[in-house]
Amino acid sequence: MKKTYKIRIILVFIALTMQFSCSNFLELVPPSGLIRSDFWKTKEDVQSVLMGAYSSFAGMNGDLFTYGEARGDMVTAPSNWQWSDQYKLMQSNITTTNSLCDWSKFYKVINYCNEVIKNAPEVKKIDGTFNDFQLKGIMAEAYFLRGLSYFYLVRIFKDVPFLTEPSVNDGVNFYPTQTKGEDILTAILKDLNGCRETASDPSLKSVAEAKGRATKASIDALIADISLWNFDYASCITACDRIISNSTYQMVPYSQWFTIFYPGNSLEGIFEFQFMDPDQKNGLFGMTNQNAYQYIPSQLAADLFGFDNGSVEKTRGERSSIAMLSKDNYIIWKYVGFAPDGKSVRPTSIQNSANWIVYRLTDIYLMKAEALSQLNRYAEAGAILDMVRLRAQVDPLAIADSPTAFEDAILNERRLEFAFEGKRWFDLLRMGRRNNYANKAKFIETIITAIPSTQKRILSAKLTNTLGWYLPISKSETERNLNLVQNPYYTF
Amino acid sequence: MKNIKKIIILILVLCSFVGAYSQTKTTIRGKVIDQKDKSPIVGATVVESNKENRVVNGTITDIDGNFVYQMKNPANTMKVSVIGYQAKPFKPNLLKQVVIELTSSDLQVEQITVVGKQKSFNNLTNIDARDNATSTTKIDLMEMRNEGISSAADALQGKVAGLDIVSMSGDPGSGSSIVIRGLSSMGNAKPLIVIDGIPQDNVRSDFDLASATTEDIGNLISVALQDIKSIEVLKDAASTSLYGSKGGAGVLLIETNRGKMGKVQFDYTFKNTINMQPKAIPMLNGDEYVTLQLDEWHNARGVYDLPNEIAYNKDFNDFYNYSANTDWLGAITQTGITNDHYFRVSGGGEKTRYSTSINYVDEGGTTRNTENKSLFSRINLDYFLSKKLMFSVNFAYSNIQTKGNYEINQNNKVRQMAYQKAPNMSIMQYDNKGNLTGDYFTRNYDNINNYQGDGLNYYNPVAVVDLGKNDKNENKLETSFTLKYNILDWLVFRETADFQYTGRKENKYLPYNAIGQSWTNWTVNLAGEGNIIASSFKTESQLAFNIPFKNKDHVLSGAATWKTDQYQDENIYIESNEIPSTTITDPAIASHINWISSGSSENRSVTGLLNMNYKFKDRYGITVNAIEEGNSAFGASNRWGNFAGLAGFWRFSSEPFLNNCANWLSESKIKASWGLAGTAPGDPYKRFGLFVTSSPSYYITNPGAVPSNIQLDNLKWQSTTSTDLGLELNMFKDRFYIEGTLYRKLASDILFGTPWSGYSIPNSSGFTELGYFNGGEMKNIGWELMSSLKVVRTKDLLVQVDFNISQNVNTYTKLPQNYNTEKAVDLSSGDYPQRIQEGTPIGSFYGLHYRGVYASDADAVATDAAGNKLYDGNHNVIPMTFNGIPFKGGDARYEDINHDGKIDINDVDYIGNSNPKMMGGFGTTFRYKQFDFNFQFVYRVGYDIINMTAKNTQGMNGRNNQSKAVLSRWRVQGQNEPGLLPRAFMDSQINNLASDRYVEKGSFLRLNSVKFGYNLSPVLCQKFGIQNANIAVSARKLLTITKYSGQDPEVGQDASDPFWIGADKANTPPPRTVTLSLSVSF
Repeated sequence: MKKTYKIRIILVFIALTMQFSCSNFLELVPPSGLIRSDFWKTKEDVQSVLMGAYSSFAGMNGDLFTYGEARGDMVTAPSNWQWSDQYKLMQSNITTTNSLCDWSKFYKVINYCNEVIKNAPEVKKIDGTFNDFQLKGIMAEAYFLRGLSYFYLVRIFKDVPFLTEPSVNDGVNFYPTQTKGEDILTAILKDLNGCRETASDPSLKSVAEAKGRATKASIDALIADISLWNFDYASCITACDRIISNSTYQMVPYSQWFTIFYPGNSLEGIFEFQFMDPDQKNGLFGMTNQNAYQYIPSQLAADLFGFDNGSVEKTRGERSSIAMLSKDNYIIWKYVGFAPDGKSVRPTSIQNSANWIVYRLTDIYLMKAEALSQLNRYAEAGAILDMVRLRAQVDPLAIADSPTAFEDAILNERRLEFAFEGKRWFDLLRMGRRNNYANKAKFIETIITAIPSTQKRILSAKLTNTLGWYLPISKSETERNLNLVQNPYYTF
Repeated sequence: MKNIKKIIILILVLCSFVGAYSQTKTTIRGKVIDQKDKSPIVGATVVESNKENRVVNGTITDIDGNFVYQMKNPANTMKVSVIGYQAKPFKPNLLKQVVIELTSSDLQVEQITVVGKQKSFNNLTNIDARDNATSTTKIDLMEMRNEGISSAADALQGKVAGLDIVSMSGDPGSGSSIVIRGLSSMGNAKPLIVIDGIPQDNVRSDFDLASATTEDIGNLISVALQDIKSIEVLKDAASTSLYGSKGGAGVLLIETNRGKMGKVQFDYTFKNTINMQPKAIPMLNGDEYVTLQLDEWHNARGVYDLPNEIAYNKDFNDFYNYSANTDWLGAITQTGITNDHYFRVSGGGEKTRYSTSINYVDEGGTTRNTENKSLFSRINLDYFLSKKLMFSVNFAYSNIQTKGNYEINQNNKVRQMAYQKAPNMSIMQYDNKGNLTGDYFTRNYDNINNYQGDGLNYYNPVAVVDLGKNDKNENKLETSFTLKYNILDWLVFRETADFQYTGRKENKYLPYNAIGQSWTNWTVNLAGEGNIIASSFKTESQLAFNIPFKNKDHVLSGAATWKTDQYQDENIYIESNEIPSTTITDPAIASHINWISSGSSENRSVTGLLNMNYKFKDRYGITVNAIEEGNSAFGASNRWGNFAGLAGFWRFSSEPFLNNCANWLSESKIKASWGLAGTAPGDPYKRFGLFVTSSPSYYITNPGAVPSNIQLDNLKWQSTTSTDLGLELNMFKDRFYIEGTLYRKLASDILFGTPWSGYSIPNSSGFTELGYFNGGEMKNIGWELMSSLKVVRTKDLLVQVDFNISQNVNTYTKLPQNYNTEKAVDLSSGDYPQRIQEGTPIGSFYGLHYRGVYASDADAVATDAAGNKLYDGNHNVIPMTFNGIPFKGGDARYEDINHDGKIDINDVDYIGNSNPKMMGGFGTTFRYKQFDFNFQFVYRVGYDIINMTAKNTQGMNGRNNQSKAVLSRWRVQGQNEPGLLPRAFMDSQINNLASDRYVEKGSFLRLNSVKFGYNLSPVLCQKFGIQNANIAVSARKLLTITKYSGQDPEVGQDASDPFWIGADKANTPPPRTVTLSLSVSF
């Protein structure tokens, strides 16, 4: 009797001890998601993180619109949106708690790109099916997206942390200091020039892929844009010429001008973030359509495009850029319209499928014209301007041979051509910064048009401090990272 | 009576595992009497045992001490036993009645508790309680129950030094903080609860031990209060380290009743409790509110187009709806009644002991439509298979059904809403002619907000209480088996396996008419259903020894233990809206599912423990513990943590040279301990860097993946070292007991982060947080003193006084690198600026100094230190400004410390500290014959509180209702009275900035409980044929003595926030309860 008990007990003890002493007992892996040690094994892993970067960048559609338009003179908010952070930006009533001062979405994309840039070469060593051509193509796309993110950040915040390593584990330094905007752009240009040769050729892919993913032309467009921002006109012209000489991209005739926006991916599209309802939604339909709008055309936009207000813009005017709902009641039409008639709204199934156009050929032409005119090559610049206006069915202009006259003309042309495409504010900034802020007064005058008359004088005085042209770093970020230096304009 | 006997016999038969032997039966008769006075003994157990000493059957004596019994086998032995007497075997005589005389066991209660060799039920060590050298305090509820304890909180609060139990607010379900000896860990300051040696996993997060009634403590641990035998608080790392990572914040050991040898006993207790919501802060009525609103608008905007809701405009459609004088709080408050029934059967023989109980509680809340019904049952069974082998089974089941109010907004529950809601609004809707429509007034349709805002943030609390639903149903099951085998006289093997299962279901529903939105809006006709299932499996194998030395001077005992713990849970939540009817509340029926979420988690740990105790001459003792724990929450390199404990005592009272002091000095000792304990992160998966599907999941037609969190390669154990030095003195024949302890606790590599939110890092990393982060060091230094004095101790009268006091100081000695030590430095938000400093106690307040009100516009000018007005270059006075806005008459006057004419962050100064200088409790027990009376006070002194409630109800800068205090506010130029509040001003914080206006002294003395009881005398009991009966009336939180003007000076500490400051946000003090209880045993 006793012996059996003893034996049983010993058996139970041994069984329990054995069961739990295996080393695997404590190795528990989460039930969902892939852990890092199992990732970065195949080229599909690399490809999917790159796609995650595109998808996240595209997810910023509404913000990209806001950063490019809100502080400009082309949009305003209807009265029921005047509590919003976007409206506060429009009013230049900016505090560090404004949600648009949070740069985390850009840095998410940057981190994804850094992951790809760091890990793709490692994966190639393991995955035999991953060839050099594919690797370089993917690397070029990652450099492009990272470069575009930093270009936005520098234009919005001026000096920001410049991170080129991914946040892989808790050993990374999370408390970077800022790098001067100029230095970031220099580094970015170096990346872009280094990878442009090996970037993909658009003709190999579907139209959506050719326009929606970074190609050689996308990289050249970004180089041109950054060079122009840096007032390095020669480099800008070189980059523009490389695109213009590529016959893949053609300016569409005026009769097809609206196809740039609907259905999109037109012949002149170079890089457009792609959206496909129902899963990949461009929020701009919801933000600009008739009932739920957050953004409406400003009085200035209504004057430029409204036929009742004397606009001569047949192609780019009312019914294409804006639509009139009733007298003096307009909405933005580029992301809502199905046709250039100001009436047909995109069908429900594809309402949120409008692309966000980052670069198109006309943009390249006008960049080149701007660069040429600044180098006093007026005839060439004038020819481009005439070509763009001809395409839009408006008369050529007689412009005096001076950089300022051309600057004004091109700025105005860009406002008409790229209305509501997230370019206006950055165009104004470029103008205001040119020749060591020579145009400061003109810049201030432009941006205070949308501000209530009572505040105009105070704001124009305040904005003579050019640091106020940039956004502050969000409060939560400066609280988390003591190494950051807040834009002094906002430290009162 | 006869029926009862039948039942008793039936149960006895059932419980004694009667063997089905067919034997010749023999009837014996007998009588059991007291040896001394020859009186009959009622209810003595008479049992028959076979050769193996197994009980085969038995009976009990009747009221005259007689019994008649049919023996299964005349060769078996017979025995009589009863509580209070020594058991006695007897020879059965078939021929005549046997008279058995029992000798009284005559044990003094005091002797048992002090000298009795009670083994600590801390199963992990093998040590006598009196030889314990660590810092623990044990409360015996069996003893206290006779003193009329009505809740576990009574047992603990104010009786255990160093244990701080504070209710967050009197609002039902608002929870409490339990802190043992200050904060040492981020987030997890909750002590581990161990029931009968088994750590409990699923402690409810909203548990409130401070205001805990019986029901609440039952909810926490799924044990009826009456089932609890004792609660022991382990305070130092030397003892808590035994419980591994979960015990880092202290351990509460709870022991439940087990069956005792003796006759079967029935206990029944009935309690009826009235829960009352104490008087609320007096709020403005509708008329006063409208006047205030007019003032606010006028001061902010001058002549202004007034909103219709406060303008007297009879043409306004909602005129009648905005002309009420509604007491919103009164409309949702009720007096709650609680009924509590407890029934227990217990007993046992030589072989089997059992205790089984059922407790049913039906509690009515103090807010309408809140209710809590709970059922607890527990069976504890011990079975002695042989002299060497014992088998125990514990089985517990509980079911808790809670009916609550729908929570539209976590931060704005119905009671808070009732405080804010405009009192000029009516509960029910009127049409424009003043007739009631029968609907609730919930102006939110057609995109029209009500006066205060939209219908979600400013809803009608009465409508939500009446129409919304938020029900929870929780089932918990626990089974544990223990096998104990005495291998040798000095070597015991024990194996325990425990299984716990919890299923929780919640159901909520909000119909459209509760907030008046269209039924297609996503916030209404909304049904949610969630299910959580958690289960755990634990094993414990132990080999314990107690080496028998020939020389009795040496005692060496110890244990080696191996524990495993597996926990897993999973949850799913589904929410739907656009449900086409207000009577269908099941989300699965709906046409439109808003979202479905699910999750799961699993955690495992293994622990090896070694414990060794050595005692020499019963005077010197030393205990050594070594612990190694492996936890799946860590990566392979940091997985194993090594912890240890070392403790020693010197029982100097037993030294021969003190022999002549024996008349005044009884058992006393000095003890010292040192321990190292560890804390593991709560979420076992956070250490992994995960790649998940991007959002949106595709780009063009290519799937996307992104890293979702940062891999934690540096995650490690948080370690806590504690050192204790203590003295225990028993004097004057145990009449006076005093214990003092000094301690120092140092937590290093503090784990920042909780399963819900991590450690914030700059967003430039591409992430917002690290799952966990180890960093910094925190120090707790303190002392505790507990004493007890039996003033009178005679047969009939006992007067006993208990007193305890403690102090704890909490300091960050090191902060993580890059840690931002300042928060909320933008004064215009109205928040108190916060800062922490290495080396200074946390909980300091910073703010402006408030100096009353500017009587007129002319007074609001800048002055120099001497009080002379300052002038600018044009000889104009410089106005005082805040953010460029000049102050005017009636505005708050803040001290301009640097005399620059601007109120800004440079004028912020130290204005108080929320760490109490001392806290504790005291109480008295009187017992005279059958009556007993006791009361218990708790106190805290020397600390400041920010009266946030006053800030919220006296700010006069928004549309929320305000307290009656604002009736004395500044209104006209020149008005200058003492105590005048600043003027009302819409949408501006300028008169409500963070200042010492709201800082008050918090010291208080609270009558925590008072109880009066009567025990039925033994003579009467005998007459009614029962063992004992008592009746008691008790009350809780009847009285608080304090200078604090707010609702409740008891403000909890929050360990999850290093910036914590003591701010009282409670709208309601803890509820008062009065309980009538009746209990009877037979």
